[in-house]
Amino acid sequence: MAAESGVESRGQSTNLLGTLRRVIAGLGPFLVFLFLFVLLLILSPAFRSPTSLGLLLLESAAIAIVACGQTFVIMIGGIDLSVEAMVSFSGVTAAILIAGSNIAGGQVANGIPAIYAVLIAVSAGLLIGLFQGMLITLFRMNPLIVTLGFRSILLGISLVWTNGAGINIVREGITDTITSRIPLVGDWNLPMPFVIALTIYAISWVILRHMRFGRYAYAIGGNGEEASRLSGINVNRIKIMIYGISGLLAAIAGVLVMSRLRSGAYQNGTNMTLISVAAVVIGGTPLTGGKGGVWGTMIGVFIIRIVEQGMVYLSVPSNAKEIVVGVIIVLAVLLDVIRQGEITWLRLGKRRVET
Amino acid sequence: MAEQNGDSILLEMRGITKRFPGVLALDRINLQVRPGEVHGIVGENGAGKSTLIKILSGVYQADEGEVIFKGQRVVHNNPRQAQIAGITTIYQELNQIPHLTVMENIYLGSEIMRGPFVDWPEMRRRSQTLLQKLRLEIDPAMTLGKLGVGQAQMVEVAKALHHKADLIIMDEPTAALSLTEIAYLFQIINELRDSGVAVIYISHHLEETFEICDRITILRDGQYIDTRPRDEMTMDDLIRMMVGRTLDEQFPKENVEQGNELLRVEGLNQGSRLKDVSFSVRAGEILGVAGLVGAGRTELLRAIFGADPIDSGKFFVNGQAVTIHHPRDAIRNGVALLTEDRKQQGLLLHLSTRQNISITVLDTLVRARMLIDRRRETELASKYVDSMAIKITSLEQLVRNLSGGNQQKVVLSKWIATQPRVLLFDEPTRGIDVGAKVEIYRLMNSFVAQGGAVVMVSSELPEILAMSDRIMVVHEGRVSGFLDRAEATQERIMELATGYSNQGSANAAQE
Repeated sequence: MAAESGVESRGQSTNLLGTLRRVIAGLGPFLVFLFLFVLLLILSPAFRSPTSLGLLLLESAAIAIVACGQTFVIMIGGIDLSVEAMVSFSGVTAAILIAGSNIAGGQVANGIPAIYAVLIAVSAGLLIGLFQGMLITLFRMNPLIVTLGFRSILLGISLVWTNGAGINIVREGITDTITSRIPLVGDWNLPMPFVIALTIYAISWVILRHMRFGRYAYAIGGNGEEASRLSGINVNRIKIMIYGISGLLAAIAGVLVMSRLRSGAYQNGTNMTLISVAAVVIGGTPLTGGKGGVWGTMIGVFIIRIVEQGMVYLSVPSNAKEIVVGVIIVLAVLLDVIRQGEITWLRLGKRRVET
Repeated sequence: MAEQNGDSILLEMRGITKRFPGVLALDRINLQVRPGEVHGIVGENGAGKSTLIKILSGVYQADEGEVIFKGQRVVHNNPRQAQIAGITTIYQELNQIPHLTVMENIYLGSEIMRGPFVDWPEMRRRSQTLLQKLRLEIDPAMTLGKLGVGQAQMVEVAKALHHKADLIIMDEPTAALSLTEIAYLFQIINELRDSGVAVIYISHHLEETFEICDRITILRDGQYIDTRPRDEMTMDDLIRMMVGRTLDEQFPKENVEQGNELLRVEGLNQGSRLKDVSFSVRAGEILGVAGLVGAGRTELLRAIFGADPIDSGKFFVNGQAVTIHHPRDAIRNGVALLTEDRKQQGLLLHLSTRQNISITVLDTLVRARMLIDRRRETELASKYVDSMAIKITSLEQLVRNLSGGNQQKVVLSKWIATQPRVLLFDEPTRGIDVGAKVEIYRLMNSFVAQGGAVVMVSSELPEILAMSDRIMVVHEGRVSGFLDRAEATQERIMELATGYSNQGSANAAQE
């Protein structure tokens, strides 16, 4: 009942100010990206070439796919810390199957066709994701701990299988296709990994915005789990499937990274967990879930990538990269808290009346 | 309203105005509270009660006007300052830490120290004294979470006494209390009054407000209406001043011809919560379920709906045996549950009105086997918004921002959309304005008039008595009796609810 006094004010502002505010809030991340992009175009002549713009897309592709899965998980108020391990694991798995033996150095012997190797690696990702989802829902285990545990397990397996070195492959068949480029005009071309990422985003958008499954995901997030269950939604099934999606997408990203590097190594996914969470939050999906979406996440990925690339073009020592990534992540979470209106002295004009 | 009898004034609020963006929450409110007075503040939701006490307790600051407390003009910038000054607020949702002990809760933020260490023995001794003052037999070292809501609330009172409060504000103190606990709370309030402590009492229960308060201040739409001694007005006066119009009928009961049995429950058991519960409800019938807090009423509805697992029991819908393991099964069989806790369990607060209404029936709104048909979804939502007169600015308005009555109508819409035969309705009008209550009753009436059945759990006996065709009383997880509408009285319900069923039937025989 404490909320009552705020009703009218919200009601009125829903029409004019509210719409404006929502448009700005929705465009916010995009405007930030645009600003950084233009800034870099001005500051660095080297950045203005088709090659470096293509590189930006290429560098964003794998992490974008991981972050897409992360968006699903965070949408339901969960979190998946195992994604970077999954990227490494699926790359290592595919590489070993293609190379046919566990020899660091990349001897091709007795391997299976790349397409099967990739399918096996990706299916493994899906199954492991589903399994984590089952532990989280059926045994009511904390997602933070479960996925952190699987992070160690998957990294450990990758390390054991590779003895800490990379398993090298020769690109052929599917691994060749997914690393190709689609030529556009002149020097311009579109890296295939990014096209794959775009496709995945489009499908995810349709699922989240236009299908029952997606609506239920929104419903479960934002503390709506009990209300969703009492509305007849099979909450457990949705949650298990979402962890499956995250595993699947991380595994797909793993195959992309491995194909691009021609090497499956346990370091392939380094940092991807943190970056994916930061991208989701920067993109407007709060850590409690229930709102936001995948396109925002893609903008989030671009923002992080352009900052990283900008440092390269502006000759910032590469050792400082970690610091900047860390700062971005902390800022992203701060942004999340501010957006939620949790900080009383910083409400961005969005006064909360209710308690 | 003018000062009377030259009585001393403990608190005076003059011309208090508070604006929130786009709304005038309080418009020149006046309030005078004397020492040793129990002062009620009543008004519909949105009248400004909460805002007013938040200003008093330092959560908000007034834009205009002044607060004079104990003869001095004061401005409290935060609850702590108000508390030190002698104003303590006991909120509806208790600000307690359940996993700490009773004494830790009482002394939270003002621990007794000896040097850098907490002086546990002294804290224990003093807590004991405070609790004894309230004649509470609670071990101060007990974990607070193990107490019932009633006792936990008494601990809050003890805490207020510890802070030497001159003014205690109680916001909906009885919302979660059983009748015995309410009686006990009133006794404590009376003792506080005798010792010169003033109490501001805010409640939706007008009967209670009438019973305990010396004077009552009425607010409406952020405006000050009047302050009157209780003895100088009737309940009708009070309601008229609150609502600003006369309510033709508080309970618009309609008699509906009853049809077939729609739901039958046989031998339902669930741990120690439900023991061998059997009953049935017919088309056109409203079955009221009465009982004390903790008697198992909510548990019963949840068990029927498949929200919690049961040990044993059979359900029959329309004469057919059905199995219900999950709310999905109940919905498929035409049973719907409107929960007591609307915000956490009934609504998806972060989603829009449209999305809330359609959530239960999305599978029927799908085209091409997969995609949600947005057009049909919008049609469905606007159909219910119109037919139930839900006040919203647009279908996309978040339900978080709706009033209690409109939220309840959204919950009702999402269930009516599933075309249920049986509504399990837990506390249908809790936290809802007097005006909106009548609308909810009318919607319930039209539901049974169209051949549905309602099982209505309520803690408000007048509501149970007025709206039910038949009343089932539960006591400690068992059905202690059924009463027909004609024979039901508050006293008979209370006899059954408190477990004096033998005496009850003896009394009945005497009558």
